[in-house]
Amino acid sequence: MLPLTLLRTAQNHPMVSGSHSSDASLNSALISKLVELKNGETFNGHLVSCDNWMNIHLREVICTSRDGDKFVRINECYIRGSTIKYLRIPDEVIDLVKEEHNRKESKRPQVKERKFNKAMPNKFSAPKKKKM
Amino acid sequence: MSQYLPGTASLLEDLDKKLMVLLRDGRTLIGYLRSIDQFANLVLHQAIERIHVGNKYGDIPIGIFVIRGENVVLCGEIDSEKEERVDLKRVDIDEILAEQKVELEAKREKEKLRLKAMQNYGLFFNADVLYLNKVKFKQIL
Repeated sequence: MLPLTLLRTAQNHPMVSGSHSSDASLNSALISKLVELKNGETFNGHLVSCDNWMNIHLREVICTSRDGDKFVRINECYIRGSTIKYLRIPDEVIDLVKEEHNRKESKRPQVKERKFNKAMPNKFSAPKKKKM
Repeated sequence: MSQYLPGTASLLEDLDKKLMVLLRDGRTLIGYLRSIDQFANLVLHQAIERIHVGNKYGDIPIGIFVIRGENVVLCGEIDSEKEERVDLKRVDIDEILAEQKVELEAKREKEKLRLKAMQNYGLFFNADVLYLNKVKFKQIL
């Protein structure tokens, strides 16, 4: 699980606990995150999406100045990855990672079956035997 | 692991160990290293931020931390046995934050004085400070 994969898992996921009960709670239960930029400003909001460059799209953001004395509310913001110092993510994301992992695992066997078809000769074991 | 892996791969040995990470802004983070990538982006689990002032320290629990690799100065494994033996006193978060504030303020004062002295010699060494003293700078020019 790479760091950026963890971010991708966190994006756009509703929180696990009782998120399906009502739409109103679903909105607020989107994973919230804290991003600190290199200049010390922090952005607190819901992660909408992110990409391989760590560029990040946030909704309902509260921006805090470097000294923590000024606060600005922003509906939506996009942060270039290279300006980020670190991200704080809630613990629930770890559970999401497990879920995602399991989902992928359950898909995998089909691929394996295809790989080890009778038609495919076992190339890799042959040379080893010779060495022995 | 016997063979040393060059580059970020050498961090693989530290996976799932308790690590101290020093950031470029001087912060110290401690947590279990769960993941890394080729940029040395780190994922710390059960992380804390540790603030040291004199021989006191305070811990702020943070949770999961994704650190962008660029901002890391150093990271190293923590020997939990030695950690307990260290002669430092643990204090409350509020207390350490207050002490940190005092220390920061003192540092800033000192920096100001130094800058003033440097300015007398016509030296400007810090872009940030230069900005703050823009007016003064203009006057000199």
